[in-house]
Amino acid sequence: MRRRSCFGVAALAAAAPFLGLFPARAEHECEVPPEMIQVSVKLPHLAARLKAREPVNIVAIGGASTTGTAAGSPDLAYPHRLQLALAKFFPDAPITVVNKGVPRQSTRQMVGRFATDVIPEDPVLVVWETGISDAVRGIEVDDFATGLQAGIDEVKNRSIDILLVDMQFSRSTATIIDFERYLTALHKVADLNGVYVFPRYEMMRYWSEQNMFNFDEVAADERARLAARVYDCIGHKLAQAIRLAVQ
Amino acid sequence: MSRDLRLDFFRGVALIFIFIDHIPENILSYFTLEAFGFFDAAEVFIFISGFTAALVYGRRLAEKGALYATAQVLRRAWQLYVAHVFLFVIFIAEVSYTATTFKNPMYNEEMRVADFLDEPHVAVVQALLLQFQPTFLDILPLYILMLVIFPVVLLGMQRHPLLVLLPSAILYVTVQMFGIAVPAYPEGHVWYFNPLAWQFLFVSAALLGHARIRGQTTLPWPRVLFSAAAVIFIAAFLIKLSWTIHGVWEPFPGLFLKQLWPINKNNLSPLRLVPFYALVVLVATLVPRDARFLEAAAARPLVLCGQQSLEIFCLGIILSALAHFILTEYGASVTMQLAVNAAGIAVMFLTAQVIAWYKTVDRTPVLLPAAASRQSSDGVAE
Repeated sequence: MRRRSCFGVAALAAAAPFLGLFPARAEHECEVPPEMIQVSVKLPHLAARLKAREPVNIVAIGGASTTGTAAGSPDLAYPHRLQLALAKFFPDAPITVVNKGVPRQSTRQMVGRFATDVIPEDPVLVVWETGISDAVRGIEVDDFATGLQAGIDEVKNRSIDILLVDMQFSRSTATIIDFERYLTALHKVADLNGVYVFPRYEMMRYWSEQNMFNFDEVAADERARLAARVYDCIGHKLAQAIRLAVQ
Repeated sequence: MSRDLRLDFFRGVALIFIFIDHIPENILSYFTLEAFGFFDAAEVFIFISGFTAALVYGRRLAEKGALYATAQVLRRAWQLYVAHVFLFVIFIAEVSYTATTFKNPMYNEEMRVADFLDEPHVAVVQALLLQFQPTFLDILPLYILMLVIFPVVLLGMQRHPLLVLLPSAILYVTVQMFGIAVPAYPEGHVWYFNPLAWQFLFVSAALLGHARIRGQTTLPWPRVLFSAAAVIFIAAFLIKLSWTIHGVWEPFPGLFLKQLWPINKNNLSPLRLVPFYALVVLVATLVPRDARFLEAAAARPLVLCGQQSLEIFCLGIILSALAHFILTEYGASVTMQLAVNAAGIAVMFLTAQVIAWYKTVDRTPVLLPAAASRQSSDGVAE
């Protein structure tokens, strides 16, 4: 096992100049091209709450990457990192991000949880991370789209703001799971409803192309720490996007 | 009657489109049927398969009787089955390799594509029963099932077309109304191409093929049908094109996007079926059987692909997986995408060429003196 990975690295290093891999490392670890954080949609309810300096409740509902088990503790999951980053941007309003991640749920199953997990928290913004389980389980794209629509309607009808977070990217899984149809559907539903989608997939792909966060090159016990760094970046970038949406 | 090259040609085109469309985020997919029709190459493939099945096995039925025709249909179904199992083995290899070498904990919970590796004994049996259909391995099971029921369809058509058309149409409408799906493995999954719905396309295509055998070569009410088809096709074309442009460049409006999207593929929504049949009418009217371009050298590779459809289909599935792997692993620049597409299509063309050559050589009788005398003494060949 070990020998094979060493060989892989060596082969990759030898081929790198030809393949155009390993370009200059971006300065900050989380750096992404500016067009990835362009937000044209507004979050009016959140903006009003922040302006009034009233307490802000945000619910992050999603799957395993919301739970953040890979990093080892809920404090290292992206919702908590989002809370810390937002606190820095908006020091005048107390902001809480509640983590309502449950692994391996389809979009429809998550919508079923809205009434019990989301609404009672009285959020002003719902961050909905979804699509992975649907793609993995090959759920009908129609079903996925109508599930998204139902969730968006349920939240919007209560005058709560909502934004979506799309799938995680990884090179090896990308070849065995067909994410494209689900990504297209998710972005299309969001577009039809005027909802912002945080382009996590595109960002993580960019990081992967820049060879940041390479899980193959670190020892097994280092991987959780690396996952925590990725979640931290996601939380940070998401906070930046939210800041743009309330300006 | 000479072979209808249109069938081969358009099936070849469909096979190339299937290869292109199966590579995610492929720039060339903006130029396939998917980009400007409510339907895609799958409809073309199933339609032509149904049509040719009726032509080929209808003649066998007339020449050699029901038993022989049935045996031949089932032999073909068996070939498809073996091909499907072969593709499945490749899929298993790919997934289990990825799953066991994967080191990123961020996907442990959710990336459970490899769940079936926990119970390979069940998964393999389910695959053999056509109940386990991983992505892109879903159209062959439909085709196999269609061929298995085809002898009954064929004998029914022989009696009276309505004997087949009515049950098939009633089943299709029932599925549209009640959304019945066929369960698959693992639990909660369904057949991606719902056979209860897609059978209607196969069977109706077979009826058209059968009508030709009976000597009907022209459409009834050609004018009305043609005008209606043109209106339907152009309307659907413009709407879908606006969606495709809207997907690339947001300020461009997607016409009726909110009302019509998403269009159900699993159950072959009438929104797919009707514009597809409109296209069939247009092509059947505008492209005559003896169209010059079908004989042209440039069309030859596509015709050959269409003639070796099973081999080229399987090859296309493998090549698109390989292409996707190359693009995710080594970068997906436009140049790279074009190169990968071109290479894949070239391999498909070449393979079709080789198979066609092999078949001609194989079929040319070699009359050595010994063989000749043995053949004549046996009396029957094959």
